[in-house]
Amino acid sequence: MSPLENLAIHEEDSQRINQVLLHFLGESGAMEALLIDRSGQLLARGGASRSLDTVSLSALAAGAFSSTAAMARLLGETEFTMLFHQGIKESIHVAAVDEQAILLAIFDSRTTVGMVRLFAKEASTAVGAILAETRTRPQRTGALAAPLGKEEGHPTFRERPV
Amino acid sequence: MSIINYGQKEISFKIVYYGPGVAGKTANLQYIHRCLPDGNRGNMVSLATGDDRTLFFDFLPVSALTVRNFTAKFQLYTVPGQVYYNMTRKLVLRGVDGIVFVADSQWERLRENVESFRNLEENLREYDYNLDEIPYVIQYNKRDLPNIAPVEYLEYLFNRRPRRVTFFESVAVEGKGVFDTLNTVSRMVLVSGFGQEQGASNEST
Repeated sequence: MSPLENLAIHEEDSQRINQVLLHFLGESGAMEALLIDRSGQLLARGGASRSLDTVSLSALAAGAFSSTAAMARLLGETEFTMLFHQGIKESIHVAAVDEQAILLAIFDSRTTVGMVRLFAKEASTAVGAILAETRTRPQRTGALAAPLGKEEGHPTFRERPV
Repeated sequence: MSIINYGQKEISFKIVYYGPGVAGKTANLQYIHRCLPDGNRGNMVSLATGDDRTLFFDFLPVSALTVRNFTAKFQLYTVPGQVYYNMTRKLVLRGVDGIVFVADSQWERLRENVESFRNLEENLREYDYNLDEIPYVIQYNKRDLPNIAPVEYLEYLFNRRPRRVTFFESVAVEGKGVFDTLNTVSRMVLVSGFGQEQGASNEST
């Protein structure tokens, strides 16, 4: 397994990814779409602005997807390309985008898993192409171009006074 | 792997607490969750068995400082320590930026610590990472117990690589050493992600 590259998503790529996600939601009828890095970090979010713990959802989805990929390898498969969890009201569909990312969609009875699956494949291809371009761009630009100074970037995690 | 999101003005890193079963990895995250101000932390997720042993991982997102108007976010994970959960340990290491090796200081747990450390090296190799490059610190936990090995001996066992790293003595359930560990490893991860101006010191030993 090769190491994952660091990833920098510039503003223009971020907007293009959001457009793809919104288009996907419009076509598929899903409510929310999350683009998640396979290490568990949320890369982009499209859709309803309800309060949802997307950070935890991303970590858990990446864990579940890696776990099914490991199961696939035990069967001699490369990986299972999608994952589907059916709930009573809402369901989750997760599709592989590329070696580094997955696309999670949340949907309800107003659409079908077939529709979500169909358009998720299309969206994954489009997002995968944008991510491939993103990786060719310089990672640290503008304010982040210079290395850290001695006094800079000292974390300030402090215990809350009890 | 670090992720820079220029649109959101965020930089994210992944830090994994590694070590043998019942060494105190989850206790570290629980203390951080309990004692960080609400604005600096998200929800803690624990995937545990019925007897509170970690099954897959614990997860706690924290954020603290701003670097040039970018918020630095750290995703803290633990791995299950039990030997038979190696597949899940490997999965959690994917994309790791920094590691805290939590060792159990008790004499009778030394062997498990050594096996876990070797297991960490093996699992990192699968991702083409290694301990000579990746930022990591060692935490000798349970220093309040009576039957513990001296720190000098633990250092002799675990910290005699060409690159010596910072270590901490801790009592994680009481919070002793927990924030020192977190602050040091997160600084190392930041420096590793950004590089550092010449003449500035990275790790204190």
